[in-house]
Order: sequence, then C-alpha cells, then structure tokens
Amino acid sequence: MADATLVSIVDDDESMQQSLPDLVSKFGFAVRTFTSAEEFLASDCIGQTKCMILDVAMPGMSGPDLKRELTRRGQTIPIIFVTGQPDQDLRRELLAEGAVECLFKPFSATVLRRALDTALKKVKRG
Amino acid sequence: MSQSTCSKPNQMASGRHETLLAEIERVSSTGGFCWHVATGNMTCTDEVYRIFDLEATVPVTLPLIRTRIHAEDLPFLDDMLERASAQASGFEYQLRLRTETVKYLLLSARRRDDADDQALYIGAIQDVTRRRLSEEALGTVRCELARLARVSSLGALTASIAHEVNQPLAGIMTNASTCLEMLASDPPDLDGARETSRRTIRDTERACEVIARLRALFGKRGGKTESLDLNGAAREVIALSSSDLHRRRVTLHTEFADDLPSVTGDRVQLQQVILNLLLNAAEAMSAVEDRPRRLLIRTEPDAADQVRLSVQDTGVGFESHDAPRLFEPFYTTKSGGMGIGLSVSRSIIESHSGRLWAEHHAGPGATFAFSIPARGSERSAHNLSAAPALADTEHLMRRA
Repeated sequence: MADATLVSIVDDDESMQQSLPDLVSKFGFAVRTFTSAEEFLASDCIGQTKCMILDVAMPGMSGPDLKRELTRRGQTIPIIFVTGQPDQDLRRELLAEGAVECLFKPFSATVLRRALDTALKKVKRG
Repeated sequence: MSQSTCSKPNQMASGRHETLLAEIERVSSTGGFCWHVATGNMTCTDEVYRIFDLEATVPVTLPLIRTRIHAEDLPFLDDMLERASAQASGFEYQLRLRTETVKYLLLSARRRDDADDQALYIGAIQDVTRRRLSEEALGTVRCELARLARVSSLGALTASIAHEVNQPLAGIMTNASTCLEMLASDPPDLDGARETSRRTIRDTERACEVIARLRALFGKRGGKTESLDLNGAAREVIALSSSDLHRRRVTLHTEFADDLPSVTGDRVQLQQVILNLLLNAAEAMSAVEDRPRRLLIRTEPDAADQVRLSVQDTGVGFESHDAPRLFEPFYTTKSGGMGIGLSVSRSIIESHSGRLWAEHHAGPGATFAFSIPARGSERSAHNLSAAPALADTEHLMRRA
C-alpha cells in the first residue's frame, strides 16, 4: 500500500474518526486520520497528502482556517469539506474559495466517492 | 342568647357601627362566626350566609355546612372538628365550596373560652375565589412564558442541535456503507462487517440520546417538583449546548462541588435558567477576539442552607448603571433577543424561593448567579407556579 494515494482525514468527531478511514481505505486509498488541524500541521503528512477530508467546525483551528494556513504555506492540497451544519451560504463560500466539495453530514458513500474522484482528477490535471 | 354561647356579632354594635361593619364585610367578602363546640351552636354574620348561599332564616349547623363543602375538602372539615375537640388554640384552612361555581374560602379561627370554660371559636371566613382565580391565571401565564422562552432558546440552539444529530447520523451512514463494502469483498470481511455494525448501533444510540435530551428539555411540561442534583441538571444542559459553545469558540470549564446538597424544584425550569445563562454568556463573548472566550460554571454550597450556581464569562460585561434593568422584561442589548430570558429566569428562581443576580467584574466579563434553598431547608420550594395555592393547602392544614 506504500504507493497508494494518501487521503488525510481531519475531524474532531469520534464517530467520523472511526468510520471514515475504513470506508476510504475500502475505496483503495491510504488513509491517515487526525483529530485536529494542529495535529495535521505538526505531522509529516502534508507533503504526501493528495486529498483532504476536512471538518469545518473544530475546537481551536477550524477547517477553513487550516485551508488558509496551507495556502499561506504554498500547499494546494484538494480539500473536501464535511460539516454537521447544513449551511448553504457557508457551502457556497467554501466552494468559491476553491474547495472541491462541501458535504453535509450525513453523506452517502457514493457522493464521497464522487468527490474523491473529482479531487484526484484535479491533482492529475494540476 | 346566654353568655355561655355566642352573642351575635352584629348585635354587639349598634346604629351606624352596625351598618359600617356590614358594609366592611361585604367589601372584604369576609364573614364572621362564633362556634360553641360543646353545643354545636353556630352564629354567623350575613356575609357567611351569602358566601355559603344559605337562606337567611335557616340556623347554621355543621351538618348544613358539610353539605356545602367540596367533597375533596371534607377531610379538612373533619380535621377541624378533631382539632376543635382537642381544644386547639386556633386553626386555618383553605376550603372549596360546591356552590353553583366553585368558591375558594380561607377560614381562620381562634379559641376563646367562655365563662364555663367551654371552648368557643371566633373566626373569619373569607371568599378568596377572585384572588385564587387570578393566581391560577398568573401561574398559567408564567408557565406559558417560560415555555416560550424555552422555545426561543431552542431556536438559538437549532444549529447546534442539527450538528449534534448529524454527527452520529454521518457515522451510521458511513459505517453501514463500509459494512456493505466489506460483505461484498471476496472473501467477505466478516470481522470488519461485525465491527462496523457494532459502530452503527453505538452511533444510533448516540443520536437517540440527543433526541431524549431535547425532549426532556423542550417538551411541554412544567410545574413538576422533585428532588434533584444541580450538578447533574447542569451537566445535561452542558451536553446539549457543548457543540454550540464549541462552534462559538468558547472553552467551557466546570467547577462542581462534590458535596453539593440536593435541591427541590422543577428540573426543566431550572435547566432552562442554566441554559439561558450559558447562552447569554456565549453571546456576550461573540465579539471578543483579543482574549480567550472562557466560560466557567461553578456550583457550591452557599450560606444559610443555600446552593449556588454561577456562570462567569469573559465577554463584554455590562455597565453598572444597566444592572437594575438587566432583569426587566423586554430589556435587551442583543439584536436578535426578545429580552425575556433573564426576566423569566428570575421569576423561575424566585418561585423556587431563590435569588438570581448579576455581578460586575473588575476585569472583562460578568458573572450571573443564582442560589436556591437546599432540600429540607425551611425555605425549600413548595409553591411552584403550576398550582400555587393548592400546594399550600396541605401546608396550611399543618399550621394551627
């Protein structure tokens, strides 16, 4: 699996931390899970991450904060936001700022799969 | 009428005095009576006749009175007879009459022995129906207002609730999808499928807990008094609002006293007060960017058998000249606020024989706190809004 595409998940919710990695690895990706934006920034995964599944509302640094920080560092990892707040305005805002997708929890495996495919196509094109 | 029985009160006065007394009786809806226990002889003023709907010519007797008392209150009459024959120095009862419309009476009497040392009770009977009905109406309005305030805080929590429910739902959806994938692989990953199924069940339970907490807090009920632990009640409120606080970047700290005495009260109403104080504190910190948004909830035993809960924030605080107005209905500094939260909260705390107040800080922020009597203390709540006077009946009965 060393060559598998790495997807990093950042979510403070325990249910997500346990369930998402299994599903994403069933899709054939390598997965790393982080419980906060700070933990991800402190890791050695930034360079290898090909796509992120990123929670919007987290204590400390939020998902959008992390995206801005990565941009500041010159990182252009495609990001799929996930959120428990079904807020259409926020979704539009995030998409306008370049997010690949913003999924409202609960989302189906199909839409997640589609978002991952879109994100990784973007990587290839980029 | 001999000295050993009752002299008719109206005969004691004469002329203008008599007219004046009769007038006062009517105005105050209060009649007088004198009851000679040994003979059963009763003398009553005109107002008593009016209150009991009796013919002016009929002599008043206990059996006649009995026919007018509401069936449920007859035990009070028996209790009164018992007390009288035991020569109690006095008694006070709230009674209902089964006249055409139900009347509420307040009866109080004192013993005054006659020349032959025979027990004689002189007393007053007041028709308090109007006061009772307005108290009941007030209680209903207070309950309804409290419910409205709950609904408005429910509105404030909507986003938080959606978040709380959507998290476990997302877990359920993801686990179930993964489970299907695992079963479809060749060979099927049965251990993985079992594990994801277990997680699905756990997440479902988590979603159910959120719903149960919501129902407990926002369901339409009130006026139920029970013995409760304020720490536990506060924890439930925190569980429901934590993701909202979280979203507003508020860090919540708790300092709960381990040996906190329990209190008597309406759990839902007290939780509403706590929720209100939490939401107000979070709101007060929403514009704070230059310091941590810190919220501290503390419980502690207070002086004189009281239990205190305080909520301290690092928000914008309030001007000291605004302090007296904070608890006025419809006073608000928030753009979206109705301004009834604190006033309803104070009315709830006062109906628990407690006190709610605001403290000004030297540093940034404010503290709102309430203290209510511990269970078993003299002032412990017994007159909650739902049925104020009815709850008092038993209380009165024991006085004498």
